[in-house]
Parts: sequence; structure tokens; C-alpha cells
Amino acid sequence: MLQTLPRHQRAQGELRVTVGLRDGRTVLRDLRQQGCMKARFPHPIDAHETVTLNTSGGVTGGDHLETHLHVEPGASALFASQAAERFYRALPANTPAHIRTTLTIGAGATAEWLPQETILFEACAATRTLEIDIAQDASVLGLEALVFGRTAMGETLHAARLNDTIRIRRAGRLILHDAIRLDGPADVLNATSSANANRATATIFHVAPDAESRLDALRAAWEHAPAETGASAWNNMLIARILAQDAAALRATITMGLNQLRDGRPLPRVWMC
Amino acid sequence: MTTTTTTEATLRLLAWLSPAFPTGGFAWSHGIEWAVESGDIDNAATLLAWLEPLLTHGSARADAILLRHAHRAAHDLDRLSEITELALATAASRERHAEAIGQGNAFRLAAAPWHPEILTKLHARLGDIPYPIAIGALAGTKSIGEDLAAAAYLQTLAANLISAAVRLVPLGQSAGLSVLAALEPLIAAVTAETAGAGLDDLGGCAFRSDLAAMRHETQYTRLFRS
Repeated sequence: MLQTLPRHQRAQGELRVTVGLRDGRTVLRDLRQQGCMKARFPHPIDAHETVTLNTSGGVTGGDHLETHLHVEPGASALFASQAAERFYRALPANTPAHIRTTLTIGAGATAEWLPQETILFEACAATRTLEIDIAQDASVLGLEALVFGRTAMGETLHAARLNDTIRIRRAGRLILHDAIRLDGPADVLNATSSANANRATATIFHVAPDAESRLDALRAAWEHAPAETGASAWNNMLIARILAQDAAALRATITMGLNQLRDGRPLPRVWMC
Repeated sequence: MTTTTTTEATLRLLAWLSPAFPTGGFAWSHGIEWAVESGDIDNAATLLAWLEPLLTHGSARADAILLRHAHRAAHDLDRLSEITELALATAASRERHAEAIGQGNAFRLAAAPWHPEILTKLHARLGDIPYPIAIGALAGTKSIGEDLAAAAYLQTLAANLISAAVRLVPLGQSAGLSVLAALEPLIAAVTAETAGAGLDDLGGCAFRSDLAAMRHETQYTRLFRS
């Protein structure tokens, strides 16, 4: 007789959002929400801003979340997340959670991907990919931020299985493959060439025909940042990294950088809560 | 088909990965110059501590995986082109990108006496070839074992970074060599670990090594190009 294994509830969700241009305004073209993935539109007049929401309250091993975002030619769209994401402890036998986001950006369009940070809980297991497909003359600004443990509670992360990858294709050609990977024991994070015992990191990316021209101003904006920062630009792309002691210093430094890269435009309201 | 003996394979690798082979490796520090400037590396022990995560969780491990996949695709130009595009996209900064293609392109030209047809074809299709791809692809077409090529590449990379630190800290030659000797088991372990790694296993957490590469761009006094 087959042994009956306990079934754990797994979250599953899929979100599809397409926005496009109509009469000079970015409007919603298509919205499909299934399972725990939802979208909210804080501005009643247009769909310039989309707020994504994982109603399961956090990610555990075996979860499967898909988000597909499409910005049509000429449109201008900002995507933010309602809250910080949490990758909870997974059982050793669990397959890692699978979180995949695709963002396609049409000719002449502008897109921003500004999720809040993801907090890694002890022994979490997740594979997350952000795949961006951008037209040659389009523009994207985005980030992924990670916090290693609940830093506000003085927690230290001892183990995690994580593969967090950002892939960007421009006009079909792969121009960025940036992957953060932890393969179990997390003590490597104490090493000087790793995190040097810092507990939070972010990668900011900006791809645009004029992306490289923003490098000096970004470096200057971070001169007195409460975290270690670095920025570089090549191939019409700007990449910046932050390494901070905790989530608060990370967020302060991200905000300084985004204020510079976004010409002082206010951050999405969900960032202020 | 000609048979290549282990001796011949070893001779080729020794030639290609020798410091005398004109890839210009001596000009690149991979961010070590910044790490010395900032005080993170100031003796043999701190140098060793800096290099270990590069091998286990950083760019050296990623290069070994890319080299292995290039080796396996050495007779399939379409597949090799995809891996090359991926390798180019993994650069962590402008100088890292320049370091990878500077050495790769120099290697392709210097390897002419070994008739590197695969590199000529890849260059015709894509232009720049990152260093680990160039080594992996040529080794794959010249009957040099994948494991041996990966191990030799890691050893050469480590030796080159140690040589940069020896000049920058400065350290004595014997202190530098003691770091190389101490890294030997790790190089063997990473060679073994990457044997079964897929391209999905790329990635790491050598954050401050990548930050050092970025900060080197604005370092006031520089001996190295990265």
C-alpha cells in the first residue's frame, strides 16, 4: 500500500498585465489574475502605475508564481509591489519556490520595475527570475533588493538556497545576466569579498540610449550614502550595486539613487508606507 | 583523426596559460587594486580570504562553468555563440567586461600557431570572445580534456590575481606562493563541483569583489586596467 504523505498547501498564482497608449495616456489593455497574484491600479484615470500583490502573504518551498507584464510601444509604465516579499523556510525535501516575472517593453516605451525588498528567512529555498525584453530605443529602470534575515530583529541567516537572476535582452540580444546565488550554508556572506557581514543588497539596472550619461550623477548622489555602493556603465546600460548593514540603510540608499535616476519624481506611494 | 596524448594536451595548456603567453593578463587586477587601496587586502592571510569566495561563490567559478560549456559546444557554432553571448552578459562592470574580452581577443590572436579555426569562426560571427570561452572552445577542438582545462584556467586566474597583489600590497614572492599553495585544494574542489553545473547554476555572492571592480573605475592612482 502506498504511504500517504502529508500534503502541504502550495501557493500558485499568475498575473498578466498589458498596458498601452491611448490618446497620449497609458491605459490598461488586458488584465488576468489567477490564484494569489493580483494587481491594483492606484490612479483611477490611467494605468500608468500598477501595484502587484501576492495575497498568499509570502513564499514557501514549492510555490509557483508567474507575472507577465507587457508595455506596448510608446507607453510609460511603473510596476511596484504592495509590500516586501518574504521567502519563508522550506523543508529540505521541498523543491524551491519558483517565481518568474517577464517584462516586455515595446519601441519607444518606458518601464520601471520597482518592487520592495525581499526578506530571506532561515532555510528558504527559491528560484526567482526577472526576464526583461526591451526594444532597442526603449528604456527601463529597475531593481531587485534582498535582505538576509530579519535584520530588525537581529537575525542572522545561516542557510538559504537562492538563485535570483536578472536577464535583460535588448532587440533580442542578451545584454545582462546577473545572478545572486546561495547554495546552502550562508557563512560565506561574512567574507570580505562577499558581503563582509552586511545583511542587505540591491542591484539597480537602467537600460536606455542615454543610460551611461547618468553614471557620474548617481555616484555623486551616493557620496554620503549609509551603505557601500558601486556603479558602472557600458553598452548603453548602467548597473549599480548596494551593500548595506540592514534593511533600513538599504532602503535609504536605494531611495537616494532612485531620486537621482528618476529626476526627483516621487517614489510610488506603496514605498512610503 | 590524430590522437592527442595527455602529454601533448598538457604541453598546450602550459603554453596557452603561461604568464608568457601574450594575453596581457598582467594588466588586469579584477578589482584587487581597489581592495588593496581600501585596506581589505594587506597581507597574505587577507589576500587568501579575499580570493576564496571568488573561487567558491564568485567570478572564477562562473568562468569555470562557462569554460566547460564552451568546451562541450566547441563543435557546434550555434550553441557556442549562445554561450558566448551569455558569458558577455555576465560581466559585473565595464572594466570586468573589458578584462574578459581584452584577454579573450588577445588569446585568439596569439593562438594562431595552433590553428584556432573555431575561434576564427566565432570571432567572424560575434566579434569579441571572453577569455574563458576562448580557452574552453579551443581546448575542446584540440583534444584537451575539459577537467584539465578548467583546473588550469582556475590556477592561472588565481596566480594572476596573486601576482597583482604581490606588486600592490606589496608582498614577498614566497608569501604570494604560499597563498597559491593554500588555494590548491579549493581549485581542485571547484573544478570538481563545476563538472556537473548547468548554465542555470551561474551566479554567486562575491558582492564586494564586484563593488571593488566598479570602484576601481574612479580610483585616483591606478597601475592596472581593472
